[in-house]
Amino acid sequence: MNPSGSKPNVQQAWLSLLRSRTAGLACFTTLILVWMSLWNPTFLAWSNMRDIAVAAAPVCIISCGLMLVLVLGEIDISVGSMMGVLAAAMGAMASASRWHLPPGVAMVGTLILGVCIGAINGWLVAYLKVPSIMVTLGMLTALRGVTEVIMGGQWITDLPPELRYLGTGSWLEIPICLWVTATVVLISLWLIHRSTLGRRIYAIGSHPKAARLAGLPIARTQCLVFAWTGFLTAVATLVSVPQLSVVDSGIGVGMELLVVTCVVVGGTAVSGGIGNLTGVLLGALLMTMISTVLIFMKLGENATYWSKAIQGLFILGAILLEPWTRSRKKP
Amino acid sequence: MKARLPSWLMNPESLLIGLGMAFWLIMGKLDHSFLQWEVQQELSTHIWETALMALPMTLIILTGGIDLSIGSIMSLSAVTAGLLHQAGWPMPMGCLAAMVVGMACGWFNGWFITRFKVHPLMITLASMAAFRGIAEGVSQARPLSGFPESFTRMGNDVWLGLPIAGWIFAGSLAMAAWIMHAHRLGRCIHAIGYNEQAARFSGLRVDRMLLGLYTLSGLSAAMAAILFMARRNTAKADIGAGVELGVITAVVMGGVSIFGGRGTLAGVCLGLFLIHETREFVSWHWSRDELNLLALGVLLILSVVFQQLLGHKRAS
Repeated sequence: MNPSGSKPNVQQAWLSLLRSRTAGLACFTTLILVWMSLWNPTFLAWSNMRDIAVAAAPVCIISCGLMLVLVLGEIDISVGSMMGVLAAAMGAMASASRWHLPPGVAMVGTLILGVCIGAINGWLVAYLKVPSIMVTLGMLTALRGVTEVIMGGQWITDLPPELRYLGTGSWLEIPICLWVTATVVLISLWLIHRSTLGRRIYAIGSHPKAARLAGLPIARTQCLVFAWTGFLTAVATLVSVPQLSVVDSGIGVGMELLVVTCVVVGGTAVSGGIGNLTGVLLGALLMTMISTVLIFMKLGENATYWSKAIQGLFILGAILLEPWTRSRKKP
Repeated sequence: MKARLPSWLMNPESLLIGLGMAFWLIMGKLDHSFLQWEVQQELSTHIWETALMALPMTLIILTGGIDLSIGSIMSLSAVTAGLLHQAGWPMPMGCLAAMVVGMACGWFNGWFITRFKVHPLMITLASMAAFRGIAEGVSQARPLSGFPESFTRMGNDVWLGLPIAGWIFAGSLAMAAWIMHAHRLGRCIHAIGYNEQAARFSGLRVDRMLLGLYTLSGLSAAMAAILFMARRNTAKADIGAGVELGVITAVVMGGVSIFGGRGTLAGVCLGLFLIHETREFVSWHWSRDELNLLALGVLLILSVVFQQLLGHKRAS
């Protein structure tokens, strides 16, 4: 589970599984599932499950990137506004009433723009040594401004059908966005467990000074991870925004917080160096499910009002539990 | 470059004064009407809430921390006062309750930060969501208004040329200056910012001080909320959204090092002034709020980059 490659014996592995954050999260998620299905059997219906998965998809995709940022010991709270800019840019490029580029070009353009914005974040953090919270706090606001400038106070309603297909279509009965999510997850798993870059990220996060003395390219790694997060944000935008028929300037508001919640609830250490993808994905699933549960409980408007408070409390709770899980992991 | 120029020229304050003057020249060229005294006086009413919150934020950033939750504390305090007013409480009691709520929120932040030793940005990011969520949930996002006239007068009255809010800021500034320069606490705050561990080992009660500072920050946010309500005669859960960015930008622009330990109140005041002028000018000249968002975000990043280039980074 942790990439340091130690080989505990089987019994120890079971014990650590029992105590790990991932197992706890899995139990908690199952508990909610069971409880909801007893309360209202339609909760377990395939269509509802699919809706939850589709809603969780963009969160999962961005979490895969943000988790690595947190493992590095940095933070990125600009992903929400980045999504807004990317959605606006995608809409403006593809829409017939604006630039009217072919959908393929719009897609590639969005991805490139995502990488560029992420790379700017990374460059400021890695080479100008600006703390990532300041960079991304500034970006959070600045990019929202850019979004509104691009939108010019009007909604984009005429996304071409090819782009809409990315959000609404399905292949083998499974929505496209889930296939994309699965691909991203597989790539991330490979990145974390099998690649040098993954090793480097964990090494830098757990002991920056030692990593520097060992001659690891810290600045380049930081820059790459931020750019990767930007890329994944673009991917998430491509699969989630076309689900709606309208692009407005409020897309992605609060997304940064949701993603940070998922990543932290998933057991990623805020101080860097620790984090596993399974936990983060479970966290994403759990946080998405909770909003569905709130809707199922017929709280009406209350659900939207309280959802932010619940997110905040989840982060605080996760931080509260962090020392406990960490001490178990490193006996 | 740094060695060639005299030190009085290279400190943040003189740079800011120069920047401010250049700025005024440009603004005068672009739009002469903006620099009229009446216009400036009218627009100056917008700055006091930000300014009030910038003071504790300065102290917190000096210790190497940050408080992202002030905007949400504002909204929770405002909603508290508004709901209590609707429930028939007299307004002064409602305001008092709002201040207590603000202090409680700040204390909660401080408690989490000192107890769990997690970086303040994470805690206050979480509590930013939690407090605003609670405010939204409790008030159902309804606007609360209809405050008594004696209360709204507080937001608009001018006494000896300064609005009441301005006097409150002046008083707080005097107090902050006294703490920074004439009180033991000022030294301690700098010491924590330079090296928290060393401060701990020298027997300073770091945790207690941090707890106090975050509580103070909560209190200032509550006071800002009350002033805002008095000025606008309304309280809603979405007030103070994004206010932390203006506050942090002003503080960082004023030359307070984000790594702690370095910065002056005079610089922060200049930073506040510059932020205020930029913001008002953009709304005045182009009347587009999105440009303001853009300008503020870019200003924050630029001022931190500039700080780094000036050599304010701390050797790790």
